[in-house]
Amino acid sequence: MKEIDVMEDLLAENDQLAAENRQLFKEQNVFTVNLVGSPGCGKTSLLEKLLGELNQKLDLGVIEGDLYTDKDAARLEKIGSQIVQVNTGGGCHLEAEQIKKAAGKFTLAKLDLLIIENVGNLVCPASFDLGEEMKITVLSVPEGNDKPVKYPAMFAKSEVVILNKIDLLSKTNFSRDKFYQDLKAMNEEIKIFEVSCTTGHGISRVCEYLKGKTVSR
Amino acid sequence: MSVMANVFALIEEKLSEHNLSRVTKVVLKVGKLTCIEESSLRFAFTAFAHKTPVEEAELIINWVEPTAYCENCRREFSVTFRDQTCPNCSQFIRKKTAGEELQLTQIEGE
Repeated sequence: MKEIDVMEDLLAENDQLAAENRQLFKEQNVFTVNLVGSPGCGKTSLLEKLLGELNQKLDLGVIEGDLYTDKDAARLEKIGSQIVQVNTGGGCHLEAEQIKKAAGKFTLAKLDLLIIENVGNLVCPASFDLGEEMKITVLSVPEGNDKPVKYPAMFAKSEVVILNKIDLLSKTNFSRDKFYQDLKAMNEEIKIFEVSCTTGHGISRVCEYLKGKTVSR
Repeated sequence: MSVMANVFALIEEKLSEHNLSRVTKVVLKVGKLTCIEESSLRFAFTAFAHKTPVEEAELIINWVEPTAYCENCRREFSVTFRDQTCPNCSQFIRKKTAGEELQLTQIEGE
């Protein structure tokens, strides 16, 4: 019987590639966002709105993560930004290596802002750094205000949370107070935006914020 | 699943490096802030181990309690997902000293 000390980080390879991505985006002056959230929370709808408004002001790129389809990419292509589709073939999250490959398909020097739409999932994407500058988590009102407590890693690692479908607030028992209180306890500096992709409420504020982040670099 | 894929890639490396024909024990160190779930990890382990030299190995998961260090009070304290403020001065501490580990610590074989 032989005991072997290994002491190897299991995410070391991903972390190394993510660091390389981060360096590349920095050199090319591209602000990169990792957009996460559960299936159906409105990540793609939000992107449609953001692209529609930011398209005239910034050069945008989108990496669309999806299990098998290009349905979301097709939705976004209509708006006219550079879109690269990544199919994970059943994988529940994107990894840094996929982003590295996808990034090679853009003319990075021409981009201001790159948004990576992760696979719909509130668990695994939290553990896989892609080399982004910030994580933005989208949560929708009908999912319930308890989600930050139930999926804390994702929320604790996000700089921004976007509360979508705010137009449905009065039709649910979603507690806004509890939601803010829970989020601030796990991540004091977190920024929260309330939006509705249906009514357009709050979308410009998110656009202003992203624009500010992009030009201030 | 992909965490376990990395574990098995490392095990394979070590098997040939140390000339082992079978693995009897696999030890992981997992921080409680990683969102890794024990049942998923064990399920993935069984799935990957099937019909390999690891098939009969025991999987040991050592969980690490999360802590952070407050520069103000110069003390380490326990944190949870829901509360990451220093119990002494109530300052929010982003940087953790433990709880985010995800490591293959040791394997045992013959």
